[in-house]
Amino acid sequence: MTRPPHLTSDSAACCWIPLFALRCEVARRPELASHPQPLALLAPDASRRLWQVAPLARRAGVKPGMTVSQAIGLCPSLKLCEPDPVHYDEQFALLLAALSAVSPVIEPAELGRVFVGTDGLEGLYGAPEKIVEAIKCGVRNAECGIEVGSQLVHSALHTPHSALRLGWGKGKFVSWVAATRARPGGAVIVRPGEEMNFLASQPIAVLPLDPDTHRRLLQLGIKTLGALAALPEEAVVSQFGRAGRRVWRLAAGRIAEPVVGRVVPEPIVAALTFFSGIGERELLEHALDQLLERALRNPRRIGWRVQVVRVRAELEHGASWLATATLKEPSAVRERLAAPLKTQLERSPPAGAVERLAVEFTGFAPGTAELQLFARDANAAARAGRRRALQSAAREITLRVKRPMLYHVIEVQPWSRLPERRYALIDYEP
Amino acid sequence: MNPETMRNAEVGMRNGSDRLRALNVQQRVVVELDDSGAPVVVKREPGNGKRIESIGETWRIDDEWWRMPIVRRYVEVILEGGGRLVLFEDLMTGEWFAQMPT
Repeated sequence: MTRPPHLTSDSAACCWIPLFALRCEVARRPELASHPQPLALLAPDASRRLWQVAPLARRAGVKPGMTVSQAIGLCPSLKLCEPDPVHYDEQFALLLAALSAVSPVIEPAELGRVFVGTDGLEGLYGAPEKIVEAIKCGVRNAECGIEVGSQLVHSALHTPHSALRLGWGKGKFVSWVAATRARPGGAVIVRPGEEMNFLASQPIAVLPLDPDTHRRLLQLGIKTLGALAALPEEAVVSQFGRAGRRVWRLAAGRIAEPVVGRVVPEPIVAALTFFSGIGERELLEHALDQLLERALRNPRRIGWRVQVVRVRAELEHGASWLATATLKEPSAVRERLAAPLKTQLERSPPAGAVERLAVEFTGFAPGTAELQLFARDANAAARAGRRRALQSAAREITLRVKRPMLYHVIEVQPWSRLPERRYALIDYEP
Repeated sequence: MNPETMRNAEVGMRNGSDRLRALNVQQRVVVELDDSGAPVVVKREPGNGKRIESIGETWRIDDEWWRMPIVRRYVEVILEGGGRLVLFEDLMTGEWFAQMPT
């Protein structure tokens, strides 16, 4: 089995939108934007802990990782949002698609953070400042096309204090640190040769360290990358092992990890031959669902969302039928892929009995690590669908009875010997 | 959880921001005792008592002696008709309360 070729780039631009998921929620719920209030997003797992916390809530002492009861205790007016990872993933895919129009080398790091390879772009745009401007422009131009369908990138990047931060430098680490230093809507450029000077004054918090190592470094009085790089490499290695070598080299600017893009996969095909020709629409729709499911499970699809899907039918007497759908928002959810195809099947059905049906994914948009976590399989998509249905039902109930009637059970002091202190109800606010 | 919220939760109220509501909050009841101090009748409302068929486990809790001491004597009972209930006597005030078994 041959490995697919990778596109790489030594010079990197880091695009970073902090609190991306929270911004998605604010973008699609105008009431949150019009009345600023302490806001937090629950983690998309079973822990029921906080995932992302808005600045207003942070000022009240609320932090990511807290339980709901701890957070409400600190900030009684805190508004909690249920997470919708599939939605965030879709919106991030839009951002990636916009950036891939500027450079072919795109490497998503996490939700809201993506590296853009810029090797060779100087021939197109010129100096790094121009490249950074082109990236901003590319995102803005792409936003015009998605403004109607999605508000996220639009509102996340077009707010008066745009949330997008850009950093440019040699290697991913330098560009990431530069992005963390940039003002909202701004960019920091670290020119070749200036990396060491730039990194020397940065706090060690920018290093990819576990909390224990971070604490030990602070206890040793090492607060900046310059202070760390001033130590002998072997001394750091003897204290912190392999991780120590890596962070020392990052701090000293000795490592410049390239941006690694991915080649768009070849089309994925799933086909089904019928023993005898079929003409019933219900049967064809069922077969279509099965084929989409099979194609989505193809390992080559992992990490990619489908943008263009095609259905081909071979009919009796050598005739054929074709339907193509280009999704405005790339998706990895079977129902979303099937919907436009089923509409076409209903409006202009095949002119004869179908003997062979084939589904082809021909266009892809990059996904994210979160995509693989949350939306890769049908179960995750189904979970997200159920959550959306529940949110919709909860909203309807609230509208009808004028007060919330749904509650979460949350742990308050599950260890308490007093039964009434163990659990409590909190309003379910979708 | 801050002390105010906790106190509200204890007595079954919502906190100031109307967000949290404690589960399994104790309800005050009237309990008739026999000569040995064991409960024989429990009344949620005056005149509406239920006889206790049998007594299960009993235990005692001493907690929070450093602020407002909590001293309770718990009795798990089976009511006539088969219902299970946990009763406790607040040994600081002598009042009886009922809770759902956990």
